[in-house]
Amino acid sequence: MKLRSLLTLAALAFTTAGFAQETADAPLQISGSADAYYKYDFAKRPNIGTSFASDHNSVSLGMLDLALKKTTGKASFVGELSFGPRGQYQSLPNGDGNTSNAGNSFHIQNLYASYAFTDKFSMTAGYMGTFIGYEVIAPTGNFNYSTSYLFTNGPFQNAGIKGTYAFSDKISLMVGLFNDWNVYQDFNGVSHVGAQLMVSPVEGWTAYLNVLSGTSNGATNGTVLDLTTSYQVTEKIKVGLNAADYSVDGGGGYGGGALYLQNAFTPGFGLGLRGELFTVKSTGAGTAKDIAAVTLSGNLKSGGLTFIPEIRFDNDSNSSFLKSDGLTATKNASQFSLAIVYAF
Amino acid sequence: MRILLTSLSLILFTISLFGQDKPLPFDERGKLIYYEVIADTKTPKDSLLSRAKAFFESDVKKYKISSIKGDSLLQATGKMMISKSALGMARPMGAVDYNFYAEVKEGKYRFWLTDFVFVPYMRDRYGNFVPTTTIGTPLEREQGKLREAEWLGYQRITAREAKTLAEQFKTALTTIIYAPEAPKPKNTISTKKW
Repeated sequence: MKLRSLLTLAALAFTTAGFAQETADAPLQISGSADAYYKYDFAKRPNIGTSFASDHNSVSLGMLDLALKKTTGKASFVGELSFGPRGQYQSLPNGDGNTSNAGNSFHIQNLYASYAFTDKFSMTAGYMGTFIGYEVIAPTGNFNYSTSYLFTNGPFQNAGIKGTYAFSDKISLMVGLFNDWNVYQDFNGVSHVGAQLMVSPVEGWTAYLNVLSGTSNGATNGTVLDLTTSYQVTEKIKVGLNAADYSVDGGGGYGGGALYLQNAFTPGFGLGLRGELFTVKSTGAGTAKDIAAVTLSGNLKSGGLTFIPEIRFDNDSNSSFLKSDGLTATKNASQFSLAIVYAF
Repeated sequence: MRILLTSLSLILFTISLFGQDKPLPFDERGKLIYYEVIADTKTPKDSLLSRAKAFFESDVKKYKISSIKGDSLLQATGKMMISKSALGMARPMGAVDYNFYAEVKEGKYRFWLTDFVFVPYMRDRYGNFVPTTTIGTPLEREQGKLREAEWLGYQRITAREAKTLAEQFKTALTTIIYAPEAPKPKNTISTKKW
């Protein structure tokens, strides 16, 4: 009897939901991605300092990413949870700084609420993906599977509160107060100020000028200046550029630029080349070094699935890489990877 | 057993409702089109045009009137969201931009939606869905075997959305627009007069 009732109820609920979705004002948005990869480093050991795709000669996991968004009137919330190496210890802090929580991953990529006071002005508060840089943590947001040095060394998340004012479709300004980089809780108070100016001079061209400055807990004051821009030249060709400088009082930081060229040869196949020059600044104790990296990736798409074969060559002025014997330092490193990314 | 069959048929009925959308036909230019001619002998031509104009002006975020030629042809642009949805949840896949033409004559009118261009959406760093490009792809363009099923899905959802929009437009053209009532003068008493 119970089974009958449940089946009937489930069928009716499914039917009702089917009709209801046609009229629902703003349904709950659910989306996400799953990714895995195989990487082979030609030195037969992990060499290149990419954020993810770090395991050599192994079919390894990226992450399962799940995002929810709901908008009711002028208010909305976003919650994005991730599970797996890419979405836990490789991109998120464990715990909240309390040693008893050191082993807990909160799995949170985004958790914030927004309110649009007017069509032009909105405020957002919570834990958010950073506004700095070109590349993102979710593999669905990047053309290349391995990440740039600018991405790896920049912030991943910024918790805080921000206000965004859109002067027009072509120009907007965000100003906010933020925690230290990549932390759930700021132990030295809300200590960073950030701003983003978005300009879109012509159709298809968007540029973001970003600044994030402040003093992290136990560190000296540092400022990131970042330019992220992309231009959809034609239906098939897209050009992107990321340039950044991170200066820290007393020395250290980084700087560099990455150029992205992408061409969609067919609706289901595209090639993307990333060239990057990256400098690690001298800290006094540590020496400066320059790295040049070239990455060629393919994107083969079918439905929600993207297959990404990729080859990458890096050159380090300080011979930071090791040869296959694991002892001899070398300036060059190269790797090949195959990744599958499914977006839903 | 009967209950099980009833439940199964209800589910199948629901699924068949989603599956029945057919892609739009092509016009003489090879473009997908939604086209209807409506006979309306009761409404004067100028009323039809003003109602059509009012329809597009009622939602400026969704529609934009691009031109009005003479006293009979109105052209507007619009955007419809393409989402995959189930059980009260949705996932935006992209948006379809289109041109909407409405032409009126005494005793009848016609309208058509065409020049459909699909702009795919992706999730950005904040979990919001945003366009991946500013240059969309014509919806009638062949996509190859790998994307055939996905593209056909977009065409079907577009056909369904176009039909919904057409119904709304036809309702709007049968609805009389009343001029807003002038505010009544307030009854005031002058204290300057005795």
